[in-house]
Amino acid sequence: MIVLWGLPGDRPLAAVRNVLRRWGYSVVFLDQHAVHETDVELSVGPTVRGTLWIRDQVVDLNTITALYPRLYDVRLLPCLKNKEPSSEAWHHALAVEDILMSWAELTSALVVNRPSAMAANSSKPYQLAWIRSLGFKVPETLMTTDPSAALQFWRCYGTVIYKSMSGIRSIVTRLTPEDRERLENVVWCPTQFQQYIPGIDYRVHVIGKEVFACTIVSAADDYRYAARKGKVATIQACELPEAIANRCKELAIAMDLQVIGVDLRCTPDGQWYCFEVNTSPGFTYFQQATNQPMDEAIAKLLGGHDIFPPQYYV
Amino acid sequence: MVLVVVASRLDQFARELVARWTPHGAALLTCTDLCLKGWRYYLDSVEDAAIVIDQHIMTAKNITGVLTRLPSVFEHELVEIVSADRTYVAAEMTAFLLSWLSALKCPVLNRPTSTCLSGPYWRQEQWISAAARIGIPVRPFHRSTRLSVDAAAEGSTPDTITLTVVGQQCLGTTNRTLVSQALRLAEAAHVDLLEVCFGDPETEAYFLCANPWPDFTNVKVEESILAYLQAGKRTSEI
Repeated sequence: MIVLWGLPGDRPLAAVRNVLRRWGYSVVFLDQHAVHETDVELSVGPTVRGTLWIRDQVVDLNTITALYPRLYDVRLLPCLKNKEPSSEAWHHALAVEDILMSWAELTSALVVNRPSAMAANSSKPYQLAWIRSLGFKVPETLMTTDPSAALQFWRCYGTVIYKSMSGIRSIVTRLTPEDRERLENVVWCPTQFQQYIPGIDYRVHVIGKEVFACTIVSAADDYRYAARKGKVATIQACELPEAIANRCKELAIAMDLQVIGVDLRCTPDGQWYCFEVNTSPGFTYFQQATNQPMDEAIAKLLGGHDIFPPQYYV
Repeated sequence: MVLVVVASRLDQFARELVARWTPHGAALLTCTDLCLKGWRYYLDSVEDAAIVIDQHIMTAKNITGVLTRLPSVFEHELVEIVSADRTYVAAEMTAFLLSWLSALKCPVLNRPTSTCLSGPYWRQEQWISAAARIGIPVRPFHRSTRLSVDAAAEGSTPDTITLTVVGQQCLGTTNRTLVSQALRLAEAAHVDLLEVCFGDPETEAYFLCANPWPDFTNVKVEESILAYLQAGKRTSEI
């Protein structure tokens, strides 16, 4: 049995769910909106066992062969709106999530991806150091609360971007002369600046052993927000050099992740830089533009095919 | 040379510890220091970083060891930051500390992981499972949303014994079996500082729980931690 966990409106979950249904897999959708009608119990000793109740449905946790979690922040769920954090509803929702997360860490079922492995993305500089250790070039990076250090870094590299360090999404933005005064604000919180790397953006999805690559051409600093800046992002499927594709697979293996979205840029002189590994990629945005069957690849993975052979994890 | 204690600004015990360790160069780093001008950390050169500890700017080269008593930066501590920005700033500071603490070459108790600034963020089930996997007797742990919170933990409270692992040392008992089990569990969790609790030590001892934030009120534990952190100083002086 395959369990998908998240919200019905989540596009990647919905896409994978449709494929699995079409292929006749036994799928349970664990809807976060129904958390008040969900119960779980877990017992851990030398073995791990437990039961999940979703309305009238009863699921023995040991019958689950694969889990695809894409969780929305439980505290922001509409069903908890207007409820106090001390309320029974909050306690129940948090307990359901915590017990299932614990199970997701321990189960021998395939988890795409395990929560602890996904957490590396909560610190981009931490992840960037890891990426560099695995052979990719990464941009020169400064984290500072010192405006003069930021200014010096800017002068050194000519063009510099700033972006969040945490998992909270921010728009990657180039520093401009208008930002000069605002640099004083870095004293309030360490801020991350990076050398701007010119070139063509690549988004690479590694799904099990499969690699899907596309190029993104945009005049925006952050192509995800091109429309907001009155610009366009043109996405096209492409082939990666084999060495780069293999290096992306190695990232996934080293980070113990089954599905990743890798942000790369290739400079005019052919240097490949990696900026980030997205550990829960919203692949449908790219699939819509390229028709690459990533939903099918994830469905295949969840169905028990196309995972890395065990020796890769030794 | 500086021994850094990373802690909540509300952590009175950390303040007292730093006061006791002042002769050894101890200084306290709280989120207040992350809101001060002076940090310069280049990803490729942690040793050259300029840092702010206890409101003083210094270089990371001077740090001989770090004790972290903070799982993450909490937004309610960020009183200098406007309330609308506290969630974001707390996440940014946590991300920054994870990167910086991970890169340090000196002894760090415990080294951060992607889930926690001090050791792994493991739930009780994960400790039980880790212990069972390396052959330590355990009593199954049970949680359910169908039971009240009070009823979730099974059984009565047994007689217990608590051991503290600091590096290769294990304090709290001379029972070789328990010492060996505690050390193996710490190794499995990749931590050098761990409190391990066993039930029924006089009969058939079994693992109960573990905690990477031990009770420091034990003088021997405190001395062992200090010695562990000072080992970095000795190494760098050789």
